[in-house]
Amino acid sequence: MLGSTLLIVVSWVLLAIFVAAFLVRTIRMAKLPMHLRWELAPVPHERGKSHYGGSYLEEFEWWTKPREKDLTKEASFMLQEILLLKSVWENNRRLWWFSFPFHTGMYVLVAAGGLLLLSGGLELAGVQTAGEWRGGISMLAGSGFALGAVGAFGLLVSRFVDPRFRGYTTPVALFNLILLLAVFVTGGLALVASRNLAGSVWDFGAALVTADMSVELTGILQAHVLLALVFLAYLPFTRMMHFVAKYFTYHQVRWEDEPLRVGGRLEREANRLLEQPVTWGAPHVNANGIKNWVDVATEEKKT
Amino acid sequence: MSTKKVRVKDIGKRGDEVLCPIIPEDLTPLPPPYGEDEPAWKELSEATTNNVVCNLDGVVAVSLPKAKDEAEEREYVEKFRAGLKKLLEKNNNWTFLQPLILSLEYCVNCQSCNEACPVFTSSGGKEIYRPTYRAEVLRRLVAKYTKPGGRLFSRFTHGDIDLNWTTITRLYELSYRCTLCRRCAQACPIGIDNGLVSRELRKLFSQELGWAAKELHEKGTVLQLEVGSSTGMNQVVVKDNIEFIDEDMADETGIEVTTPWDKEGADVLLIHNAGEILSWPENPGAFAIILNAAGIDWTLSSDEVAYDGVNYGLFYDDVQLARVAVKHAESAKKLKVNKIVAGECGHQHKAMMTVSDRVLTGDLAVRRESCLTLLEKIVFSGKIEFDPSKNDFPVTLHDPCNIVRNLGIVEPQRRILRHLCPQFREMTPHGVDNYCCGGGSGFAVMSPNNFTDWRVSVAGRMKLQQILDAFADQPKPEVPKYLCAPCSNCKGQLRDLLQYYDVLEKSNITYGGLVELIVNAMVDVKEPFIKWEMH
Repeated sequence: MLGSTLLIVVSWVLLAIFVAAFLVRTIRMAKLPMHLRWELAPVPHERGKSHYGGSYLEEFEWWTKPREKDLTKEASFMLQEILLLKSVWENNRRLWWFSFPFHTGMYVLVAAGGLLLLSGGLELAGVQTAGEWRGGISMLAGSGFALGAVGAFGLLVSRFVDPRFRGYTTPVALFNLILLLAVFVTGGLALVASRNLAGSVWDFGAALVTADMSVELTGILQAHVLLALVFLAYLPFTRMMHFVAKYFTYHQVRWEDEPLRVGGRLEREANRLLEQPVTWGAPHVNANGIKNWVDVATEEKKT
Repeated sequence: MSTKKVRVKDIGKRGDEVLCPIIPEDLTPLPPPYGEDEPAWKELSEATTNNVVCNLDGVVAVSLPKAKDEAEEREYVEKFRAGLKKLLEKNNNWTFLQPLILSLEYCVNCQSCNEACPVFTSSGGKEIYRPTYRAEVLRRLVAKYTKPGGRLFSRFTHGDIDLNWTTITRLYELSYRCTLCRRCAQACPIGIDNGLVSRELRKLFSQELGWAAKELHEKGTVLQLEVGSSTGMNQVVVKDNIEFIDEDMADETGIEVTTPWDKEGADVLLIHNAGEILSWPENPGAFAIILNAAGIDWTLSSDEVAYDGVNYGLFYDDVQLARVAVKHAESAKKLKVNKIVAGECGHQHKAMMTVSDRVLTGDLAVRRESCLTLLEKIVFSGKIEFDPSKNDFPVTLHDPCNIVRNLGIVEPQRRILRHLCPQFREMTPHGVDNYCCGGGSGFAVMSPNNFTDWRVSVAGRMKLQQILDAFADQPKPEVPKYLCAPCSNCKGQLRDLLQYYDVLEKSNITYGGLVELIVNAMVDVKEPFIKWEMH
């Protein structure tokens, strides 16, 4: 077991890595340049058309019509995707039985964490009864641990027994699942060891904020906290960041159907990108590292 | 190697063997009488097997010559490595960098996309056709050969792979086993696009190594930019051919047909896929009849490139894509037309209406529209009198991926068919969920070696099943049936598909475009416009 001081310091470091790496990777995704249009039907924000996959391009002289977007349909689509894993249900039912509890377990844990923050905040604000929520929050976290563990174990087994995954499962993919399984299992064991798990986690969180080096955790809870923080620090370096990437693949690729308008933002950005030099080496491209995209696209007949 | 499961890393091993041969018995069965006498595949000639790389699946689409010696192999491997890096650079690949990076870095190999792919399922589940297979090859190559410490760590993080001549030649051929239909992308919970990965691979080979399918490059975009059309027609020939079509249409319908050329200030610049003019002349003929009857102020352009809407750059090369798109827009600008209307050609729609949208800036930002919306406007305008009973035969609709799944133009063509064809019925699935004809991504114009056998009996297999199912209530040849495919490349594939399986004789199903059905229903056209013959 780590000493309290070491535990607090290690936790700070892991949290700092998580925050920094998460931000860097997310910003990197967001700052990728505008690309050529590559939308894919159905685009849910198409008002009155999304239920069959139609788009504004179905309109005669579409540029004369107002764009009618229904962002509630986008939100509804994403909620079904995120909360119910609808695409997995429709296209990969075998996997859904494990993937759904796995993801739901994590959502439940995030919700439990949010409730813990809320209850603590209210308590600090003088609402004494908020502290009584912690029993319920502990039970909620317990259900998250159970769902997550079942899902992670199922996914891990699938990686060995499902022939579709044979040859596509890397050591790191297995490690990720094992790490998460360990987080869920230790969380569950910590709850068994102490029914007031939420209270202990709150105390630990308060110690982190106040640099209280005297905080004490039970062995199993310390293991759980460390594993959870290691997971968080490691997360931004893995494909598990797909929950962030998904925003960009949907909103900036599949559903990004904004037409270019002369004088508009997209045109300015396109003109800027078209001015970049091209260095592709095939003879027909006829690039020399100085010519830009406009040059190579407007040169007369190439062979 | 064929008896055990092919692994991702096997792509670079034992280059003298076929990695994953196609076995006819593995293909999904077709209903009688089609499953009973599956045509035999063409044998590769000795010259081909001696001189051309054919070690992927025993099929040869791209006819890549074998390297002369190891030095040449190394030279191309180095070029590939350089291309890998350029594929990830903002200046060289801003065009698709974001979707590519997202697809490479965040796929968790859940395999939810597998069953959406008609090539993978029709083949009986051949590992190399699994949508994730070629993407995983690229992902591992990027991890190992472009990332710091890749050679040390990538086998743990991404899995093992070797970059060598065998890897790049098999991968090149494999990039031409995906029709870019993007059904896999629709199925992905994360939004990974394995179709895009196939296209980006083709782009790397084309823009860095100078390798591309001859039909798309030399005989495609290069010919189009040099002569004016990928068909080889120059300005004189295309005008002659259209004049001939006008005369032929007038003889057939009794209606005077004149196609206007280079009319400055016209409302509509119609751009056909020039393949229509040579292979399906009734299609541009029917367009002329309809537009004239509706009083549309329209024109064709005789400018080089502008009389051919083809833009095969969409399938393999951003530079060629941009060059052709610019030519189309320049012609419209020169004629001062109100808008370009894309004829019945799916990839032309996509290249012209959306993909080149951010290349055509300033005065090249010409308005561009689908012929389907214009035709819907005309059909329901009351300017032409129709008698739907003239189309009283079973009709089904093939949805071209590039018009429907990629642009979301789903209903205009259906509203026309419901209005003019009393026996219209849908395929299952249809609309944005429809299956590719098997000729997508340029395959329809590619027929070297034994590739026609593959694209028809593997890539087109699901489509044939869909067509037969749509007419399952009247399967016998006594009832003539019409497969409407408003896309030139789809028609090319469907022609080969129906001929290959003798579908006209066995089931009396013919195919054609949408405008042919519209003209067939016109009261002023006295004789049937649609003929039940293979063309």
